[in-house]
Amino acid sequence: MPTLFSFAFKNIKRKPLRTGILMFAIALLAAALVFSLSFVQRVNGSIKKSTERLGADLLVVPTNSRGAAEEILLENRIKTFYMKRSIIDRVRALPGVEKATEQVYLVTVAGVCCSVPESMVIAFNQDSDFIINPWLKEKVRHRLGKGEAVAGFESAFNIRLGLVEMDSMLFGNVFRLIGSLEKTGTGFDTAVFIGMENMPAIIASGKVKNLQPDDISVVLVKVKPGVDPASVAASVEDTIIEADAMARKDIGKNIIAALKDISRIFTMTIALTAVMSFFLVWAIFTAIANERSKEVGIMRAIGAKESHILTLFFIEVLVIGIAGSLVGIVAGIGMSAALSKGFTIVKQLSTELSIGEQAVIAAVSFLGGTVICVLGALAPIQRLKKMEPLLVIKAE
Amino acid sequence: MTMSQIVIDAVSKDYRVANETIAAVRGVSLVIERGTFVSIVGHSGSGKTTLLSLIGGMVSPSSGRVLFNGEDIYTWTSDQLSQYRCEKIGFMFQSASLLSILTAKENLMLPVAFRSQGTPDGGHGQKAERLLHAVGLSDKINAYPAQLSGGQQRRVAIARAFMNDPELILADEPTGDLDEETENEMMQFFLRMNKDHGTTFIMVTHNSELAGRTRQHIRMHQGMLQPA
Repeated sequence: MPTLFSFAFKNIKRKPLRTGILMFAIALLAAALVFSLSFVQRVNGSIKKSTERLGADLLVVPTNSRGAAEEILLENRIKTFYMKRSIIDRVRALPGVEKATEQVYLVTVAGVCCSVPESMVIAFNQDSDFIINPWLKEKVRHRLGKGEAVAGFESAFNIRLGLVEMDSMLFGNVFRLIGSLEKTGTGFDTAVFIGMENMPAIIASGKVKNLQPDDISVVLVKVKPGVDPASVAASVEDTIIEADAMARKDIGKNIIAALKDISRIFTMTIALTAVMSFFLVWAIFTAIANERSKEVGIMRAIGAKESHILTLFFIEVLVIGIAGSLVGIVAGIGMSAALSKGFTIVKQLSTELSIGEQAVIAAVSFLGGTVICVLGALAPIQRLKKMEPLLVIKAE
Repeated sequence: MTMSQIVIDAVSKDYRVANETIAAVRGVSLVIERGTFVSIVGHSGSGKTTLLSLIGGMVSPSSGRVLFNGEDIYTWTSDQLSQYRCEKIGFMFQSASLLSILTAKENLMLPVAFRSQGTPDGGHGQKAERLLHAVGLSDKINAYPAQLSGGQQRRVAIARAFMNDPELILADEPTGDLDEETENEMMQFFLRMNKDHGTTFIMVTHNSELAGRTRQHIRMHQGMLQPA
């Protein structure tokens, strides 16, 4: 017996080109939604995670190095900048500062050792550190000795085969990699960590240019409970002219600002695609309504209720909307994977979307595509539903 | 006392075309008893099809009432009218009016899908085939309308009208496209259904010979009934 479902499927197959165009429009909308939501969510998530896991309330860097520091932290970029070690004492002396620790950023030279690409090496002060030590305690469980290093989770030195002890040549010094850290979701994941006590030997090797024995790259600050990190940052900038300071909540502000512009462009593109899809569905279903008015008249005359007509056409719309949205989601995921290689900001991000986030994006895109399809077809279907059976008799 | 199946009580129907009002049916009153075979004859534009549509619940009257088994059908909701058209009436239009994407058998089974009561599949397919056999289309069960001649399409539509075992058949020139022999066969089929199942027939026709074979004749002229 022909059910409304089988009848609807026959109608869908009746004009494959028209059905294809409709599905394509909906797929385009769903794909645009997947791509843009994935992009925005990834960048937002990466910034949030990185700042949350930073472990410091404040970052003090050399003047004009704020952007470079953000790039290291958020985008896994390889950058170096230096200021005088004395700055840490001046920071510690400021009111509201609970503790401060320094790090020195170095860059390995590509091709020197083991076919490993250029990487960040971070020397940290194990006595004052409150950033790396907590991670280190879980994995290594002892203080790093001279000539010992640990690799970040995604470091090129961490080959992740359980081989946690290997000799690596860094700046002409042999280092024993004694472990790797868990994933932190920050730019530190791609770095190699060594103790500050290695610095004299590294500087003596002469392999690091522009680095003096009393140079450091960054001071990480923890403020006292109840103190606003922004006010301490302002104090740093007021009293230490050679340094810039960033409160944790301000890290990534420039990227967020740029991201907002990109988001606006995406929003406009999606809105335009949605409007275009809506009108395409409306135009095609208006044509379908005109073309099939006699058919509807016949069905009404032989006993179809308005609800039967509604059901029949909504099955058709939903099948097209659902199929188009599913195709769009798959295309959007593919497009995100392919195009993200061309987006520097995405390429450098330290965070991937979780399965849950991907599921939410897929669900939102699915709903977006399907709802636009249904809304576009609503008016023509309502008109068809109201068609009087006499029309068919008159038309004869 | 048994209730009349159809009572048409002073029914008029006006159509408004541009600024002009056309009175298609004017104050028609008529009683049709259950199981009768009524033919309506008259010139084109005399209001026959409109009267049939009024009885079939497809167009509401400008004035008057149409009673089916004692109930005024135009006091019903849209869904009740649909149910009436689906389960109580079999309608044969002036042309076949089949759905082009359904086969002959599927066209017959479509009204079953619109029934408000549950429609267990058992028997419907066989019934459709039996009806197609009765109208001489056993070999066209799975043919699409485009694969059938005009006369064959007309016969599918005739068979479809009987699919839900209606109490009343409203036939608007049902044999218009048929050759004389098939027309005669179809008329025999109608008379047999009328006699064996007690189905009431109201048939609009131009063919006075066909009208002569029915029990009750009605002539329409300018929207009004005239003695036949």
